[in-house]
Amino acid sequence: MDKKVEAQPILSMNSVEVLYDNVMLAIKGVSIQVPKGEMIALLGSNGAGKSTTLKAISGLLKAERGRVSRGEIKFEGTDITEMLAQKRVEMGICHVIEGRRVFEHLTPDENLTAAAPMGMSRSELDGEKEKIYNYFPRLAERSNSLSGYLSGGEQQMLAIGRALVTQPSLLMLDEPSLGLAPFLVAEIFGILQKINQEEGMSVLLVEQNALAALEIVSEGYLIENGRVVMNGTAAALKSNSDIQEFYLGGGEGTDFHNVKHYSRRKRWLS
Amino acid sequence: MDWVFLAELAINGALTGLLYSLFAIGLVLIYKASSVPNLAQGGLTMVGAYVVLALSHDAGLPLWLAIPLAAVIMFGLGFGIERVALRRLAGRPVIMILMLTLGLDIFLRGTTLAIWGGTSRSMELGVSYEPLFLGDLFISRIHLVGAGVAIALFVGFMVFFRSRTGIKLRAIADDYMASWSVGISVERGVGLSWALASVVAVAAGVIWGEIQGVDQALSLLLLKGLTVAVLGGLDSILGAVIAGIILGILENVGADFLDPLVGGGSRELIVAAVLILTVMIRPHGLFGRHEIERV
Ligand SMILES: Nc1ncnc2c1ncn2[C@@H]1O[C@H](COP(=O)(O)OP(=O)(O)OP(=O)(O)O)[C@@H](O)[C@H]1O
Ligand SMILES: [Mg+2]
Repeated sequence: MDKKVEAQPILSMNSVEVLYDNVMLAIKGVSIQVPKGEMIALLGSNGAGKSTTLKAISGLLKAERGRVSRGEIKFEGTDITEMLAQKRVEMGICHVIEGRRVFEHLTPDENLTAAAPMGMSRSELDGEKEKIYNYFPRLAERSNSLSGYLSGGEQQMLAIGRALVTQPSLLMLDEPSLGLAPFLVAEIFGILQKINQEEGMSVLLVEQNALAALEIVSEGYLIENGRVVMNGTAAALKSNSDIQEFYLGGGEGTDFHNVKHYSRRKRWLS
Repeated sequence: MDWVFLAELAINGALTGLLYSLFAIGLVLIYKASSVPNLAQGGLTMVGAYVVLALSHDAGLPLWLAIPLAAVIMFGLGFGIERVALRRLAGRPVIMILMLTLGLDIFLRGTTLAIWGGTSRSMELGVSYEPLFLGDLFISRIHLVGAGVAIALFVGFMVFFRSRTGIKLRAIADDYMASWSVGISVERGVGLSWALASVVAVAAGVIWGEIQGVDQALSLLLLKGLTVAVLGGLDSILGAVIAGIILGILENVGADFLDPLVGGGSRELIVAAVLILTVMIRPHGLFGRHEIERV
Protein backbone atom coordinates (compact mmCIF):
# COMPACT_ATOMS: atom_id res chain seq x y z
CA MET A 1 0.00 0.00 0.00
CA ASP A 2 2.65 2.51 1.10
CA LYS A 3 4.61 2.11 -2.11
CA LYS A 4 1.64 3.23 -4.17
CA VAL A 5 0.91 6.28 -2.10
CA GLU A 6 4.44 7.54 -2.56
CA ALA A 7 4.46 7.27 -6.36
CA GLN A 8 3.10 10.31 -8.18
CA PRO A 9 -0.66 9.94 -8.58
CA ILE A 10 -1.99 10.09 -12.14
CA LEU A 11 -4.64 12.54 -10.95
CA SER A 12 -4.60 14.85 -8.03
CA MET A 13 -7.30 17.28 -7.19
CA ASN A 14 -6.56 19.78 -4.45
CA SER A 15 -9.22 21.75 -2.54
CA VAL A 16 -11.34 22.24 -5.64
CA GLU A 17 -14.39 24.43 -5.48
CA VAL A 18 -16.92 24.58 -8.33
CA LEU A 19 -19.43 27.31 -9.07
CA TYR A 20 -22.33 26.96 -11.50
CA ASP A 21 -23.68 30.16 -13.04
CA ASN A 22 -21.24 32.06 -10.79
CA VAL A 23 -23.53 31.61 -7.82
CA MET A 24 -24.30 27.97 -7.12
CA LEU A 25 -21.49 26.42 -5.08
CA ALA A 26 -21.65 22.73 -5.97
CA ILE A 27 -18.47 21.32 -4.46
CA LYS A 28 -16.49 22.92 -1.67
CA GLY A 29 -12.82 22.06 -1.34
CA VAL A 30 -12.74 18.51 -2.72
CA SER A 31 -9.35 16.75 -2.72
CA ILE A 32 -8.96 13.41 -4.44
CA GLN A 33 -5.92 11.39 -5.54
CA VAL A 34 -6.00 8.60 -8.08
CA PRO A 35 -2.79 6.54 -7.91
CA LYS A 36 -1.55 5.20 -11.26
CA GLY A 37 -3.16 1.96 -12.28
CA GLU A 38 -5.63 1.92 -9.39
CA MET A 39 -9.41 1.82 -9.35
CA ILE A 40 -10.89 4.43 -7.03
CA ALA A 41 -14.54 4.89 -6.12
CA LEU A 42 -16.32 8.16 -5.45
CA LEU A 43 -19.46 7.41 -3.49
CA GLY A 44 -22.30 9.62 -2.37
CA SER A 45 -26.01 10.23 -2.55
CA ASN A 46 -28.04 12.32 -5.00
CA GLY A 47 -26.80 15.87 -5.39
CA ALA A 48 -23.66 15.24 -3.36
CA GLY A 49 -21.40 16.62 -6.09
CA LYS A 50 -20.05 13.43 -7.68
CA SER A 51 -20.82 14.35 -11.28
CA THR A 52 -19.60 17.89 -10.70
CA THR A 53 -16.28 16.49 -9.51
CA LEU A 54 -15.91 14.39 -12.67
CA LYS A 55 -16.88 17.31 -14.89
CA ALA A 56 -14.27 19.48 -13.21
CA ILE A 57 -11.67 16.86 -14.09
CA SER A 58 -12.84 16.29 -17.69
CA GLY A 59 -13.51 19.94 -18.43
CA LEU A 60 -17.16 19.37 -19.30
CA LEU A 61 -18.17 21.89 -16.63
CA LYS A 62 -17.83 24.70 -19.11
CA ALA A 63 -20.66 23.32 -21.23
CA GLU A 64 -22.93 23.71 -18.21
CA ARG A 65 -21.81 27.19 -17.28
CA GLY A 66 -19.76 25.90 -14.39
CA ARG A 67 -16.16 26.71 -13.47
CA VAL A 68 -13.48 25.79 -10.98
CA SER A 69 -13.36 28.83 -8.71
CA ARG A 70 -10.66 27.60 -6.35
CA GLY A 71 -8.07 24.85 -6.10
CA GLU A 72 -6.20 23.01 -8.81
CA ILE A 73 -6.36 19.76 -10.75
CA LYS A 74 -3.19 18.03 -11.88
CA PHE A 75 -3.00 15.20 -14.38
CA GLU A 76 0.35 13.43 -14.60
CA GLY A 77 1.91 16.45 -12.99
CA THR A 78 0.43 19.00 -15.41
CA ASP A 79 -2.03 21.60 -14.21
CA ILE A 80 -5.18 21.05 -16.26
CA THR A 81 -7.59 23.19 -14.27
CA GLU A 82 -8.28 25.58 -17.14
CA MET A 83 -7.53 23.31 -20.08
CA LEU A 84 -10.04 22.74 -22.91
CA ALA A 85 -12.01 19.49 -22.59
CA GLN A 86 -10.80 18.32 -25.98
CA LYS A 87 -7.18 18.78 -24.94
CA ARG A 88 -7.74 16.72 -21.80
CA VAL A 89 -9.11 13.84 -23.88
CA GLU A 90 -5.96 14.03 -25.99
CA MET A 91 -3.89 13.88 -22.80
CA GLY A 92 -5.66 10.68 -21.76
CA ILE A 93 -8.65 11.59 -19.61
CA CYS A 94 -11.98 10.21 -20.74
CA HIS A 95 -15.28 10.74 -18.98
CA VAL A 96 -18.20 8.36 -19.52
CA ILE A 97 -21.00 10.78 -18.66
CA GLU A 98 -24.06 9.74 -16.71
CA GLY A 99 -27.15 8.45 -18.44
CA ARG A 100 -25.64 6.12 -21.11
CA ARG A 101 -25.45 8.90 -23.65
CA VAL A 102 -24.61 6.90 -26.78
CA PHE A 103 -25.09 8.48 -30.20
CA GLU A 104 -28.53 6.99 -30.71
CA HIS A 105 -28.85 7.48 -34.45
CA LEU A 106 -25.46 5.94 -35.13
CA THR A 107 -24.64 2.25 -35.07
CA PRO A 108 -22.35 0.98 -32.31
CA ASP A 109 -19.60 0.68 -34.89
CA GLU A 110 -20.10 4.33 -35.91
CA ASN A 111 -20.16 5.33 -32.23
CA LEU A 112 -16.68 3.90 -31.91
CA THR A 113 -15.53 5.58 -35.11
CA ALA A 114 -16.87 8.94 -33.94
CA ALA A 115 -14.63 8.84 -30.87
CA ALA A 116 -11.46 8.06 -32.83
CA PRO A 117 -8.74 10.66 -32.22
CA MET A 118 -7.88 12.81 -35.25
CA GLY A 119 -4.51 11.20 -35.85
CA MET A 120 -5.61 7.58 -35.46
CA SER A 121 -5.00 5.55 -38.60
CA ARG A 122 -7.61 3.26 -40.02
CA SER A 123 -5.78 0.09 -39.08
CA GLU A 124 -5.17 1.39 -35.58
CA LEU A 125 -8.88 2.15 -35.24
CA ASP A 126 -9.78 -1.32 -36.48
CA GLY A 127 -7.42 -2.74 -33.86
CA GLU A 128 -9.07 -0.69 -31.12
CA LYS A 129 -12.51 -1.80 -32.25
CA GLU A 130 -11.49 -5.43 -32.22
CA LYS A 131 -10.15 -5.09 -28.71
CA ILE A 132 -13.36 -3.41 -27.55
CA TYR A 133 -15.54 -6.05 -29.19
CA ASN A 134 -13.43 -8.63 -27.38
CA TYR A 135 -14.15 -7.01 -24.05
CA PHE A 136 -17.84 -6.59 -24.94
CA PRO A 137 -18.87 -9.44 -27.23
CA ARG A 138 -22.52 -8.36 -26.97
CA LEU A 139 -21.61 -5.18 -28.84
CA ALA A 140 -20.03 -7.10 -31.66
CA GLU A 141 -23.28 -8.95 -32.23
CA ARG A 142 -25.20 -5.71 -32.59
CA SER A 143 -22.53 -3.56 -34.17
CA ASN A 144 -24.73 -2.61 -37.11
CA SER A 145 -28.09 -1.86 -35.52
CA LEU A 146 -29.07 1.62 -34.32
CA SER A 147 -27.58 2.31 -30.90
CA GLY A 148 -30.82 3.91 -29.72
CA TYR A 149 -32.42 0.48 -29.84
CA LEU A 150 -29.78 -1.34 -27.78
CA SER A 151 -30.70 -2.50 -24.27
CA GLY A 152 -29.61 -0.41 -21.32
CA GLY A 153 -26.72 -2.73 -20.54
CA GLU A 154 -25.53 -2.75 -24.13
CA GLN A 155 -25.71 1.04 -24.25
CA GLN A 156 -23.59 1.29 -21.12
CA MET A 157 -21.06 -1.10 -22.65
CA LEU A 158 -21.03 1.00 -25.79
CA ALA A 159 -20.52 4.19 -23.81
CA ILE A 160 -17.53 2.58 -22.10
CA GLY A 161 -16.21 1.13 -25.36
CA ARG A 162 -16.54 4.52 -27.03
CA ALA A 163 -14.45 6.05 -24.27
CA LEU A 164 -11.81 3.34 -24.71
CA VAL A 165 -11.33 4.34 -28.35
CA THR A 166 -9.79 7.59 -27.11
CA GLN A 167 -7.09 5.43 -25.44
CA PRO A 168 -7.39 6.99 -21.99
CA SER A 169 -4.93 6.46 -19.18
CA LEU A 170 -7.60 7.66 -16.75
CA LEU A 171 -11.14 6.41 -17.34
CA MET A 172 -13.88 8.11 -15.34
CA LEU A 173 -17.33 6.58 -15.17
CA ASP A 174 -20.44 8.29 -13.82
CA GLU A 175 -22.88 5.81 -12.31
CA PRO A 176 -22.53 3.06 -14.90
CA SER A 177 -24.71 0.73 -12.83
CA LEU A 178 -27.74 3.01 -12.70
CA GLY A 179 -30.92 1.22 -13.73
CA LEU A 180 -29.19 -2.03 -14.66
CA ALA A 181 -30.02 -5.50 -13.37
CA PRO A 182 -27.52 -6.84 -10.79
CA PHE A 183 -26.14 -9.51 -13.15
CA LEU A 184 -25.38 -6.82 -15.74
CA VAL A 185 -23.69 -4.64 -13.14
CA ALA A 186 -21.55 -7.61 -12.17
CA GLU A 187 -20.72 -8.28 -15.83
CA ILE A 188 -19.77 -4.68 -16.57
CA PHE A 189 -17.78 -4.23 -13.37
CA GLY A 190 -15.97 -7.47 -14.08
CA ILE A 191 -14.97 -6.16 -17.49
CA LEU A 192 -13.81 -2.86 -15.97
CA GLN A 193 -11.63 -4.79 -13.60
CA LYS A 194 -10.21 -6.80 -16.47
CA ILE A 195 -9.44 -3.65 -18.47
CA ASN A 196 -7.81 -2.12 -15.42
CA GLN A 197 -5.61 -5.16 -14.94
CA GLU A 198 -4.76 -5.82 -18.58
CA GLU A 199 -4.17 -2.24 -19.71
CA GLY A 200 -3.05 -0.71 -16.43
CA MET A 201 -5.71 1.93 -16.96
CA SER A 202 -6.52 4.02 -13.88
CA VAL A 203 -10.23 4.24 -13.11
CA LEU A 204 -12.28 6.75 -11.17
CA LEU A 205 -15.71 5.25 -10.60
CA VAL A 206 -18.65 7.32 -9.40
CA GLU A 207 -21.35 5.18 -7.84
CA GLN A 208 -24.35 5.20 -5.57
CA ASN A 209 -24.19 1.43 -5.64
CA ALA A 210 -21.49 1.27 -2.98
CA LEU A 211 -21.83 -2.46 -2.49
CA ALA A 212 -20.88 -3.28 -6.07
CA ALA A 213 -18.27 -0.52 -6.36
CA LEU A 214 -16.36 -1.44 -3.19
CA GLU A 215 -15.96 -4.96 -4.52
CA ILE A 216 -13.72 -3.85 -7.38
CA VAL A 217 -11.91 -0.70 -6.20
CA SER A 218 -8.91 -0.46 -3.91
CA GLU A 219 -9.88 2.80 -2.31
CA GLY A 220 -12.91 5.03 -1.98
CA TYR A 221 -14.02 8.53 -1.17
CA LEU A 222 -17.39 9.41 0.28
CA ILE A 223 -18.71 12.80 -0.74
CA GLU A 224 -21.61 14.61 0.82
CA ASN A 225 -23.01 18.10 0.29
CA GLY A 226 -20.02 18.93 -1.86
CA ARG A 227 -17.39 17.82 0.67
CA VAL A 228 -15.33 14.68 1.07
CA VAL A 229 -16.43 13.27 4.41
CA MET A 230 -14.62 9.94 4.36
CA ASN A 231 -11.69 8.34 2.57
CA GLY A 232 -10.13 4.93 3.02
CA THR A 233 -9.35 1.56 1.54
CA ALA A 234 -12.25 -0.44 0.20
CA ALA A 235 -11.92 -2.86 3.11
CA ALA A 236 -11.98 -0.06 5.67
CA LEU A 237 -15.01 1.54 4.05
CA LYS A 238 -16.86 -1.75 3.87
CA SER A 239 -16.38 -2.30 7.57
CA ASN A 240 -17.24 1.26 8.54
CA SER A 241 -20.46 1.21 10.52
CA ASP A 242 -22.06 4.31 8.93
CA ILE A 243 -21.40 3.02 5.45
CA GLN A 244 -22.58 -0.44 6.38
CA GLU A 245 -25.80 0.81 7.81
CA PHE A 246 -26.75 3.36 5.22
CA TYR A 247 -24.93 2.56 1.99
CA LEU A 248 -24.61 -1.16 2.12
CA GLY A 249 -28.11 -1.54 3.54
CA GLY A 250 -26.96 -4.02 6.16
CA GLY A 251 -25.92 -6.50 3.50
CA GLU A 252 -29.07 -6.50 1.40
CA GLY A 253 -27.78 -4.11 -1.24
CA THR A 254 -28.01 -0.37 -1.47
CA ASP A 255 -31.03 1.53 -2.44
CA PHE A 256 -31.49 5.23 -2.84
CA HIS A 257 -34.11 5.59 -0.12
CA ASN A 258 -31.65 4.44 2.49
CA VAL A 259 -29.17 6.94 1.20
CA LYS A 260 -31.60 9.82 1.42
CA HIS A 261 -32.60 8.71 4.85
CA TYR A 262 -28.96 8.72 5.82
CA SER A 263 -28.40 12.29 4.67
CA ARG A 264 -31.47 13.49 6.46
CA ARG A 265 -30.51 11.78 9.67
CA LYS A 266 -26.94 13.02 9.49
CA ARG A 267 -28.16 16.58 9.20
CA TRP A 268 -30.48 16.09 12.10
CA LEU A 269 -27.74 14.53 14.22
CA SER A 270 -25.11 17.15 13.56
CA MET B 1 -56.67 15.10 -71.24
CA ASP B 2 -53.33 15.77 -72.92
CA TRP B 3 -50.95 13.19 -71.47
CA VAL B 4 -47.89 14.54 -73.17
CA PHE B 5 -48.56 17.94 -71.71
CA LEU B 6 -49.18 16.45 -68.27
CA ALA B 7 -45.92 14.49 -68.42
CA GLU B 8 -44.11 17.63 -69.46
CA LEU B 9 -45.56 19.51 -66.51
CA ALA B 10 -44.58 16.72 -64.15
CA ILE B 11 -41.03 16.39 -65.43
CA ASN B 12 -40.33 20.09 -65.45
CA GLY B 13 -41.99 20.31 -62.06
CA ALA B 14 -39.70 17.59 -60.73
CA LEU B 15 -36.67 19.40 -62.13
CA THR B 16 -37.73 22.69 -60.56
CA GLY B 17 -38.35 20.82 -57.33
CA LEU B 18 -34.78 19.53 -57.37
CA LEU B 19 -33.68 23.15 -57.59
CA TYR B 20 -35.62 23.82 -54.39
CA SER B 21 -33.71 20.86 -52.98
CA LEU B 22 -30.55 22.90 -53.48
CA PHE B 23 -31.86 25.16 -50.72
CA ALA B 24 -33.21 22.31 -48.66
CA ILE B 25 -29.89 20.42 -48.61
CA GLY B 26 -28.19 23.49 -47.14
CA LEU B 27 -30.97 23.82 -44.58
CA VAL B 28 -30.64 20.17 -43.59
CA LEU B 29 -26.87 20.46 -43.09
CA ILE B 30 -27.32 23.30 -40.64
CA TYR B 31 -30.35 21.80 -38.95
CA LYS B 32 -28.35 18.69 -38.17
CA ALA B 33 -25.60 20.69 -36.52
CA SER B 34 -27.46 23.57 -34.89
CA SER B 35 -31.05 22.26 -34.51
CA VAL B 36 -32.50 25.32 -36.23
CA PRO B 37 -33.82 25.93 -39.73
CA ASN B 38 -31.31 28.47 -41.03
CA LEU B 39 -33.40 31.46 -42.06
CA ALA B 40 -30.29 32.93 -43.68
CA GLN B 41 -29.93 30.12 -46.25
CA GLY B 42 -31.68 32.35 -48.81
CA GLY B 43 -29.36 35.21 -47.94
CA LEU B 44 -26.32 32.95 -48.24
CA THR B 45 -27.53 31.79 -51.66
CA MET B 46 -27.89 35.36 -52.81
CA VAL B 47 -24.41 36.23 -51.50
CA GLY B 48 -23.03 33.14 -53.21
CA ALA B 49 -24.45 34.37 -56.52
CA TYR B 50 -23.07 37.88 -55.99
CA VAL B 51 -19.62 36.56 -55.15
CA VAL B 52 -19.58 34.55 -58.38
CA LEU B 53 -20.63 37.66 -60.30
CA ALA B 54 -18.00 39.79 -58.59
CA LEU B 55 -15.29 37.30 -59.50
CA SER B 56 -16.43 36.65 -63.05
CA HIS B 57 -18.08 39.82 -64.39
CA ASP B 58 -16.30 42.37 -62.19
CA ALA B 59 -12.87 40.81 -61.78
CA GLY B 60 -12.94 39.17 -65.19
CA LEU B 61 -12.24 35.59 -64.20
CA PRO B 62 -13.72 32.80 -66.30
CA LEU B 63 -16.76 31.11 -64.74
CA TRP B 64 -15.06 27.74 -64.37
CA LEU B 65 -12.59 29.48 -62.04
CA ALA B 66 -14.97 31.99 -60.45
CA ILE B 67 -17.43 29.36 -59.21
CA PRO B 68 -14.92 27.16 -57.31
CA LEU B 69 -13.23 30.27 -55.95
CA ALA B 70 -16.59 31.56 -54.73
CA ALA B 71 -17.17 28.17 -53.11
CA VAL B 72 -13.89 28.52 -51.22
CA ILE B 73 -14.75 32.05 -50.09
CA MET B 74 -18.23 30.98 -48.96
CA PHE B 75 -16.73 27.99 -47.14
CA GLY B 76 -14.66 30.47 -45.15
CA LEU B 77 -17.68 32.70 -44.57
CA GLY B 78 -19.62 29.74 -43.15
CA PHE B 79 -16.83 28.96 -40.72
CA GLY B 80 -16.64 32.65 -39.82
CA ILE B 81 -20.33 32.77 -38.94
CA GLU B 82 -19.83 30.00 -36.39
CA ARG B 83 -16.69 31.61 -34.98
CA VAL B 84 -18.04 35.15 -34.68
CA ALA B 85 -21.70 34.67 -33.91
CA LEU B 86 -22.81 31.14 -33.09
CA ARG B 87 -20.10 30.22 -30.61
CA ARG B 88 -21.29 32.92 -28.26
CA LEU B 89 -24.78 31.43 -28.28
CA ALA B 90 -23.68 27.98 -27.13
CA GLY B 91 -26.02 26.76 -24.44
CA ARG B 92 -28.65 29.44 -25.11
CA PRO B 93 -32.20 28.55 -26.12
CA VAL B 94 -32.55 27.43 -29.72
CA ILE B 95 -34.99 30.26 -30.44
CA MET B 96 -32.07 32.68 -29.96
CA ILE B 97 -30.07 30.89 -32.64
CA LEU B 98 -33.12 31.02 -34.92
CA MET B 99 -33.39 34.77 -34.37
CA LEU B 100 -29.69 35.08 -35.09
CA THR B 101 -30.17 33.42 -38.49
CA LEU B 102 -33.03 35.84 -39.23
CA GLY B 103 -30.79 38.76 -38.31
CA LEU B 104 -28.06 37.33 -40.50
CA ASP B 105 -30.44 37.10 -43.48
CA ILE B 106 -31.44 40.75 -43.12
CA PHE B 107 -27.79 41.71 -42.71
CA LEU B 108 -26.74 39.84 -45.86
CA ARG B 109 -29.52 41.41 -47.90
CA GLY B 110 -28.59 44.86 -46.66
CA THR B 111 -24.93 44.28 -47.39
CA THR B 112 -25.46 43.16 -50.99
CA LEU B 113 -27.79 46.08 -51.53
CA ALA B 114 -25.11 48.47 -50.26
CA ILE B 115 -22.32 46.95 -52.35
CA TRP B 116 -24.01 45.93 -55.59
CA GLY B 117 -27.30 47.84 -55.57
CA GLY B 118 -30.72 46.42 -56.28
CA THR B 119 -30.77 46.06 -60.05
CA SER B 120 -31.07 42.54 -61.26
CA ARG B 121 -27.94 41.22 -62.99
CA SER B 122 -27.66 38.18 -65.16
CA MET B 123 -25.38 35.24 -64.50
CA GLU B 124 -24.69 34.37 -68.16
CA LEU B 125 -23.73 30.78 -67.64
CA GLY B 126 -24.03 30.18 -71.34
CA VAL B 127 -26.55 27.37 -71.07
CA SER B 128 -28.75 27.42 -74.15
CA TYR B 129 -32.36 28.48 -73.77
CA GLU B 130 -33.40 26.27 -76.66
CA PRO B 131 -35.56 23.66 -74.96
CA LEU B 132 -34.43 20.09 -75.12
CA PHE B 133 -36.76 17.65 -76.84
CA LEU B 134 -37.26 14.36 -75.17
CA GLY B 135 -39.53 12.67 -77.66
CA ASP B 136 -42.50 15.03 -77.65
CA LEU B 137 -41.56 16.64 -74.34
CA PHE B 138 -40.05 20.09 -73.89
CA ILE B 139 -37.42 20.18 -71.16
CA SER B 140 -35.61 23.28 -69.91
CA ARG B 141 -31.84 22.80 -70.18
CA ILE B 142 -30.87 24.99 -67.24
CA HIS B 143 -33.34 23.15 -65.03
CA LEU B 144 -31.82 19.88 -66.15
CA VAL B 145 -28.33 21.13 -65.30
CA GLY B 146 -29.49 22.36 -61.89
CA ALA B 147 -31.23 19.08 -61.13
CA GLY B 148 -28.02 17.27 -62.03
CA VAL B 149 -26.10 19.48 -59.61
CA ALA B 150 -28.64 18.72 -56.87
CA ILE B 151 -28.32 14.98 -57.44
CA ALA B 152 -24.53 15.22 -57.49
CA LEU B 153 -24.54 17.09 -54.17
CA PHE B 154 -26.90 14.52 -52.74
CA VAL B 155 -24.61 11.65 -53.71
CA GLY B 156 -21.58 13.55 -52.47
CA PHE B 157 -23.12 14.12 -49.05
CA MET B 158 -24.31 10.52 -48.75
CA VAL B 159 -20.69 9.46 -49.20
CA PHE B 160 -19.40 12.21 -46.93
CA PHE B 161 -21.65 11.22 -44.04
CA ARG B 162 -20.12 7.74 -44.08
CA SER B 163 -16.59 9.13 -43.77
CA ARG B 164 -14.97 9.60 -40.38
CA THR B 165 -15.51 13.35 -40.40
CA GLY B 166 -19.10 12.83 -41.56
CA ILE B 167 -19.72 10.35 -38.75
CA LYS B 168 -18.35 12.86 -36.25
CA LEU B 169 -20.77 15.46 -37.62
CA ARG B 170 -23.67 13.04 -37.20
CA ALA B 171 -22.49 12.37 -33.65
CA ILE B 172 -22.56 16.10 -32.95
CA ALA B 173 -26.09 16.25 -34.37
CA ASP B 174 -27.05 13.54 -31.87
CA ASP B 175 -25.51 14.80 -28.65
CA TYR B 176 -23.20 17.78 -28.03
CA MET B 177 -22.26 16.74 -24.49
CA ALA B 178 -21.41 13.16 -25.40
CA SER B 179 -19.38 14.51 -28.33
CA TRP B 180 -17.32 16.75 -26.09
CA SER B 181 -16.82 13.87 -23.68
CA VAL B 182 -14.87 11.89 -26.27
CA GLY B 183 -12.90 14.86 -27.53
CA ILE B 184 -14.93 15.72 -30.64
CA SER B 185 -14.69 19.45 -31.34
CA VAL B 186 -18.34 20.41 -31.51
CA GLU B 187 -17.44 23.97 -32.43
CA ARG B 188 -15.40 22.88 -35.43
CA GLY B 189 -18.15 20.48 -36.49
CA VAL B 190 -20.83 23.16 -36.37
CA GLY B 191 -18.52 25.48 -38.27
CA LEU B 192 -17.96 22.82 -40.91
CA SER B 193 -21.71 22.33 -41.33
CA TRP B 194 -22.19 26.03 -41.92
CA ALA B 195 -19.25 26.06 -44.28
CA LEU B 196 -20.69 23.17 -46.32
CA ALA B 197 -24.15 24.77 -46.38
CA SER B 198 -22.52 27.94 -47.67
CA VAL B 199 -20.88 25.99 -50.48
CA VAL B 200 -24.25 24.48 -51.35
CA ALA B 201 -25.55 28.06 -51.40
CA VAL B 202 -23.07 28.89 -54.17
CA ALA B 203 -24.48 26.08 -56.30
CA ALA B 204 -28.03 27.25 -55.63
CA GLY B 205 -27.06 30.86 -56.26
CA VAL B 206 -25.49 30.12 -59.64
CA ILE B 207 -28.42 28.06 -60.91
CA TRP B 208 -31.18 30.30 -59.59
CA GLY B 209 -29.22 33.41 -60.54
CA GLU B 210 -29.18 32.10 -64.11
CA ILE B 211 -32.91 31.37 -64.03
CA GLN B 212 -34.28 34.52 -62.46
CA GLY B 213 -31.37 36.97 -62.36
CA VAL B 214 -29.20 37.96 -59.41
CA ASP B 215 -30.83 40.33 -56.97
CA GLN B 216 -32.21 40.36 -53.43
CA ALA B 217 -35.26 38.37 -54.55
CA LEU B 218 -33.02 35.27 -54.59
CA SER B 219 -33.18 35.17 -50.81
CA LEU B 220 -36.97 34.82 -50.95
CA LEU B 221 -36.63 31.36 -52.47
CA LEU B 222 -35.89 30.33 -48.91
CA LEU B 223 -39.62 29.83 -48.40
CA LYS B 224 -39.82 27.09 -51.00
CA GLY B 225 -36.59 25.54 -49.75
CA LEU B 226 -37.94 25.59 -46.23
CA THR B 227 -41.15 23.90 -47.30
CA VAL B 228 -39.16 21.18 -49.04
CA ALA B 229 -36.89 20.73 -46.02
CA VAL B 230 -39.85 20.43 -43.66
CA LEU B 231 -41.65 17.98 -45.95
CA GLY B 232 -38.46 15.94 -46.20
CA GLY B 233 -37.99 15.93 -42.45
CA LEU B 234 -35.50 18.78 -41.81
CA ASP B 235 -32.62 16.46 -40.96
CA SER B 236 -32.61 14.13 -43.94
CA ILE B 237 -30.65 14.86 -47.11
CA LEU B 238 -32.55 12.10 -48.89
CA GLY B 239 -35.76 13.71 -47.63
CA ALA B 240 -34.67 17.06 -49.06
CA VAL B 241 -34.27 15.49 -52.50
CA ILE B 242 -37.45 13.39 -52.56
CA ALA B 243 -39.54 16.19 -51.05
CA GLY B 244 -38.18 18.61 -53.64
CA ILE B 245 -39.36 16.36 -56.45
CA ILE B 246 -42.76 15.91 -54.82
CA LEU B 247 -43.33 19.60 -54.16
CA GLY B 248 -42.13 20.53 -57.65
CA ILE B 249 -44.57 18.12 -59.31
CA LEU B 250 -47.48 19.07 -57.06
CA GLU B 251 -46.87 22.72 -57.71
CA ASN B 252 -46.52 22.49 -61.48
CA VAL B 253 -49.29 20.01 -62.15
CA GLY B 254 -51.58 21.36 -59.44
CA ALA B 255 -51.26 24.94 -60.64
CA ASP B 256 -52.22 23.89 -64.14
CA PHE B 257 -55.49 22.49 -62.81
CA LEU B 258 -56.20 25.16 -60.22
CA ASP B 259 -55.10 28.35 -61.90
CA PRO B 260 -58.03 28.49 -64.36
CA LEU B 261 -60.41 27.92 -61.43
CA VAL B 262 -59.00 30.49 -59.00
CA GLY B 263 -57.54 32.85 -61.56
CA GLY B 264 -53.83 32.52 -60.72
CA GLY B 265 -51.71 32.39 -57.63
CA SER B 266 -52.37 28.75 -56.90
CA ARG B 267 -48.65 27.84 -56.83
CA GLU B 268 -48.23 29.75 -53.59
CA LEU B 269 -51.38 28.16 -52.22
CA ILE B 270 -50.08 24.68 -52.97
CA VAL B 271 -46.75 25.42 -51.30
CA ALA B 272 -48.53 26.85 -48.27
CA ALA B 273 -50.86 23.86 -48.07
CA VAL B 274 -47.93 21.42 -48.20
CA LEU B 275 -46.08 23.28 -45.45
CA ILE B 276 -49.08 23.59 -43.16
CA LEU B 277 -50.34 20.05 -43.69
CA THR B 278 -46.88 18.56 -43.12
CA VAL B 279 -46.50 20.35 -39.83
CA MET B 280 -50.01 19.33 -38.77
CA ILE B 281 -50.12 15.75 -39.95
CA ARG B 282 -46.53 14.60 -40.12
CA PRO B 283 -44.26 16.88 -38.12
CA HIS B 284 -41.22 14.66 -38.74
CA GLY B 285 -41.79 14.94 -42.46
CA LEU B 286 -41.29 12.05 -44.83
CA PHE B 287 -37.83 10.99 -43.69
CA GLY B 288 -37.15 12.97 -40.51
CA ARG B 289 -35.83 10.99 -37.62
CA HIS B 290 -37.94 10.44 -34.58
CA GLU B 291 -36.65 10.55 -31.09
CA ILE B 292 -35.85 6.92 -30.44
CA GLU B 293 -38.04 5.41 -27.78
CA ARG B 294 -37.26 1.91 -26.67
CA VAL B 295 -39.99 -0.27 -25.29
N1 LIG C 1 -25.68 22.59 -14.47
C1 LIG C 1 -25.91 22.91 -13.18
N2 LIG C 1 -26.28 24.17 -12.86
C2 LIG C 1 -26.51 24.49 -11.56
N3 LIG C 1 -26.40 23.64 -10.53
C3 LIG C 1 -26.03 22.38 -10.80
C4 LIG C 1 -25.77 21.95 -12.13
N4 LIG C 1 -25.43 20.65 -12.09
C5 LIG C 1 -25.46 20.29 -10.79
N5 LIG C 1 -25.83 21.33 -10.02
C6 LIG C 1 -25.96 21.30 -8.56
O1 LIG C 1 -24.75 20.91 -7.99
C7 LIG C 1 -24.94 20.01 -6.92
C8 LIG C 1 -24.17 18.72 -7.17
O2 LIG C 1 -24.72 18.09 -8.32
P1 LIG C 1 -24.09 16.81 -8.98
O3 LIG C 1 -24.82 16.58 -10.25
O4 LIG C 1 -22.65 16.95 -9.04
O5 LIG C 1 -24.48 15.69 -7.92
P2 LIG C 1 -24.34 14.10 -8.02
O6 LIG C 1 -23.61 13.68 -6.81
O7 LIG C 1 -23.78 13.73 -9.31
O8 LIG C 1 -25.84 13.64 -7.90
P3 LIG C 1 -26.61 12.44 -8.62
O9 LIG C 1 -26.27 11.22 -7.87
O10 LIG C 1 -28.04 12.81 -8.46
O11 LIG C 1 -26.16 12.39 -10.04
C9 LIG C 1 -26.44 19.78 -6.82
O12 LIG C 1 -26.94 20.60 -5.78
C10 LIG C 1 -26.96 20.25 -8.13
O13 LIG C 1 -28.25 20.80 -7.99
MG1 LIG D 1 -24.51 12.69 -10.93
